[in-house]
Amino acid sequence: MAIVTDRPDSADSPDGSGPGTELEVAEPDSHGDDSPRTGVFARPTHATGWREWLFTVDHKKIGIMYGALALFWFLIGGLEIGLVRLQLWAPDGEVISADFYNQLFTMHGVTMVFLVIMPLANAFANYLVPLQIGARDVAFPRMNALGLWIFFFGGIFLNLSWFLGGGADGGWFAYAPNTGMTFSPGHGMDFYALGLQIAGIASLLGAINLLVTIINMRCPGMSLLRMPVFTWMILVVQFLLVFALPVITVALILLTFDRTFDANFFNVDAGADPLLWQHLFWIFGHPEVYILILPAFGVVSETLPVFSRKPLFGYPIVVLSGAAIGFMGWGVWAHHMFTSGMGPVSVAAFSATTMFIAVPTGVKILNWIATMWAGKVRFTVPMMFSVSLVAMFTIGGLSGVMHAIAPADTQQTDTYFIVAHFHYVLVGGALMGMFAGMYYWWPKAFGYHLNDRLGRWHFWLMLLGFNVTFGPMHIVGLQGMARRHSVYGEFDGFEFWNKIATIGYFLMLIAMVILAVNIFRTWGRYRRGLEPGAGADPWDGRTLEWAIPSPVPEHNFDYVPVVSDVDDFWHKKYQPDETGKLRRIAYGNDIAQIGDQHPHLPSPSYWPIVLAMGMPLIGFGLIYNLWIAGIGLLLLVGSMFGWTLEPATDPDAGHGHGHDGYGDHDDDHGGGNHDDSPDGQDDGNGVLTASTANGEAAGD
Amino acid sequence: MGTRFARRCFLAVPALLGLLLAGCATGRLDATKPVGQEARDIDFLMRLSGWMAVGVGIFVAAAVFAIIVKFRAKPTDDPDDLPPQVHGNRKAELTWTIIPTALLVFLTIFTLPTVFDLARVNAAEDARTIRVEGQQWWWQFSYDLNKDGRYDIVTANDLVIPTGEKVNLEIESNDVIHSFWIPQLNGKKDAVPGRVHDWTIRSDEPGIFYGECAEFCGLSHANMQMRTIVLTPDDFERWVEEQLEGKAAAQAAPAEGSAEAAGAALFETHCISCHVVDGPYESAAGGNANLLAGIAPNLTNLMSRTAFAGALYETYQIGPDGEYLRNPDGSLKLNLAELREWVRNAPDMKPARADNQQGMLDFSEVLTDQDLDNLMAYLQTLGSEPVLPATNAGAG
Repeated sequence: MAIVTDRPDSADSPDGSGPGTELEVAEPDSHGDDSPRTGVFARPTHATGWREWLFTVDHKKIGIMYGALALFWFLIGGLEIGLVRLQLWAPDGEVISADFYNQLFTMHGVTMVFLVIMPLANAFANYLVPLQIGARDVAFPRMNALGLWIFFFGGIFLNLSWFLGGGADGGWFAYAPNTGMTFSPGHGMDFYALGLQIAGIASLLGAINLLVTIINMRCPGMSLLRMPVFTWMILVVQFLLVFALPVITVALILLTFDRTFDANFFNVDAGADPLLWQHLFWIFGHPEVYILILPAFGVVSETLPVFSRKPLFGYPIVVLSGAAIGFMGWGVWAHHMFTSGMGPVSVAAFSATTMFIAVPTGVKILNWIATMWAGKVRFTVPMMFSVSLVAMFTIGGLSGVMHAIAPADTQQTDTYFIVAHFHYVLVGGALMGMFAGMYYWWPKAFGYHLNDRLGRWHFWLMLLGFNVTFGPMHIVGLQGMARRHSVYGEFDGFEFWNKIATIGYFLMLIAMVILAVNIFRTWGRYRRGLEPGAGADPWDGRTLEWAIPSPVPEHNFDYVPVVSDVDDFWHKKYQPDETGKLRRIAYGNDIAQIGDQHPHLPSPSYWPIVLAMGMPLIGFGLIYNLWIAGIGLLLLVGSMFGWTLEPATDPDAGHGHGHDGYGDHDDDHGGGNHDDSPDGQDDGNGVLTASTANGEAAGD
Repeated sequence: MGTRFARRCFLAVPALLGLLLAGCATGRLDATKPVGQEARDIDFLMRLSGWMAVGVGIFVAAAVFAIIVKFRAKPTDDPDDLPPQVHGNRKAELTWTIIPTALLVFLTIFTLPTVFDLARVNAAEDARTIRVEGQQWWWQFSYDLNKDGRYDIVTANDLVIPTGEKVNLEIESNDVIHSFWIPQLNGKKDAVPGRVHDWTIRSDEPGIFYGECAEFCGLSHANMQMRTIVLTPDDFERWVEEQLEGKAAAQAAPAEGSAEAAGAALFETHCISCHVVDGPYESAAGGNANLLAGIAPNLTNLMSRTAFAGALYETYQIGPDGEYLRNPDGSLKLNLAELREWVRNAPDMKPARADNQQGMLDFSEVLTDQDLDNLMAYLQTLGSEPVLPATNAGAG
């Protein structure tokens, strides 16, 4: 049984989509039996072109699509705030109306949090977690696709409000009762409530999927404390998501019921207490902050050791402090409410808990510094972004301690001091980390490096523009400039620093244009064969994703890797010599797997995207006409049936019997101590994939 | 190269600091210039934590800087020669867990008493309590002088208090959540509908201290401003007397046939469904029952307020340096043009949604020029000019 596909080298897969020929080649295989259970309709078999992407269940393609969508929304969210910055250029600005201004800052916040940073983290998590734990895919590949498409439609739904009467105008935090029908009669807040609800379903699906994947599908030998820190942080984040999202779901349901069905959850005249919304929102909202930042912490915990050529300093402490942040993040939500009037005892308690969440965060920063200390630091573009995260996030963290002091917060909250603080956390921290990850894993995903010179321009302009934009906001905030004010007066003394901040915005805008040029130009050059391939292990990496070809073949691993240490792949390249000094014994590109196996993979499916399409229809129905919701519901239920009747893996699609150790054959060449019992892919309607069984060997 | 670069960077620091200070022209909402005990307590904590943050920040920045300069891989390095592989150090990690914890314990010890101090109202028997009501998009202040449960003075935009006194505030909202904030006198306190929040302010010196709504409250959030006029106790008594006099004067009907009388008639036709003048138009209070003034500011003593339209516009004209301009007879120069324009077409001067009972209506199609002149004449009869603080006559 020898099916030969080309190795995914640069010439054959210019778009970075992997070999893409798996199914096509597999089709003529005589392996399929004559009574295939393929579901109600024929399955998609497109192996190329756009349809391959629409119906794929491959975690890597899904990850790339998450990333592309996030960058698109980043553009939108960035342009939205550009108008705000222009409005604030001078006192009594008249560039845009107060109404439009309120919509812009609301949608900027919603977009950047829910449609940019969360999906960016999702992009990396989807792409990398299976690779870092040595799995062939996530636990539920079709569900993974469903999450992507629900997110896709949710984002579009949310932003369609711009064309249907205006965006949400209640702030991303949407404090009741200002968001009720009485005070916000337009449809903007309906789109907000339902759009976030839809995006939340996507996040929840992704979180469950990744949790199951990380817990069950680690390769033999990869105990929890041998897991790469990025995967660890993603694990913590998925726990946070699973527990935090239900809270916002409830809050949004209450809001939707108030607005759509005249309920009284936030109607003060009917006896409601508006602080209910604040508590619900921030019990979700504060863990959300860690949902946004921890993936970036994970990224730099990968890049700093690689580019310092040293192991991560205090790996268990870094992991544990990440988990500690995750736990403590649940006990600090009311620090967003120090002025809400909840009483001094609550204020004192939350003030103290908030201060001490700085301890594990500080430990992380010092461990990263110790990782770089006495190393041989290579300042590549991903490393520059990573180091800037360490420095910039520190600033955001320190100003965070300042408003953990509740009395100080009564002066700082709702001013630009807070705006400065959380942008240092989310741009200086999360986004810098995501950019580091982009430059770092780009060669892995697409097979070539992003241009280094353009990358450096991007970095320096970004770092400069970021500080020029948000640095002055500390000052102007202490001078008393309140947030969400569409104008300021000429006697307020805010003009100078606002001008500087607006200039900084444009510097960042230029940085983003350079990033876009870099992406498209380098892609074009690669297609024309002008960019060299990156090879499997371009950075001298430490984790498993570098032990397979770039771009990653559709099946990820030829055979199941077996690990015996943290940074196992690195130890296969360096071993101590007789004097005990570490010496290189091999090069990554030489010992990486070659990607020539053709195992049975989960098949593409129409159902995820069709099911997801039902969601926005239900949303429109709740806003305009319940009949539309009925159509959406039919689509949703119908595709659920179609989905259920369709086996995860198309029996018609053949598969090769590689020596891969993943349990879909009986040749245990991979060396794992997994059992060979029939696994998920053989029972037809299971959702587990071919790569389930190997997880059983992964216990601690 | 590294050290010269480092020296240059250190030289750049004072230059940067100079630039920073140049940009720190004091605004009128500056939280770092406290004038009352409460604001000073907060300021102390901000400075303490701020300087500690700067210290830690410099430490981290120096470490990162040292790494960049000192531990940079050199092109001459053997690519296969590794730096010492340190996996961790229990002692170091313990140290940098304990030190931040100690610093934070230190900060907490300073913080907690202040939290409880700020929550404490003035419990003295003669303590003054003023009701503060936020609504879209202006602030109302009500004084119960004799504590009989009836508000004797109801005003808007200008909160007038005497110096040296810890004044209690009962903060409420009539629609959505707002936040009361006079940065130089105390931190913020939210005005939440359905709740009464106790808060205090205190000022050691007379002056005009500016404030604004700090919690996003809808369309015109930016235009929901206010000011606290702090007067010496004597001046404050004078202000109270003038308020009561104005209230009494408003009862008298203007002379028949005068412009004032014509204005009063127009007022009765067009304004009293929302506005109130104590006395003649008191009973007209409609809309929200919580409000003495209906759903728009009580206009008794309008002329005694330094600002109108949510403190967005000055009632009296201001010179280029922020000083009040005066007529030859020494009286303040009325900002008649903007007041007139406001009455004619308010939504043009401040974003509002009058069709949704949020903000003042547009009267440009309703009132003629003559009507406006008459209305202006009537409004000028409402109260005498404001009592301004002795040491701070300016608004800038």
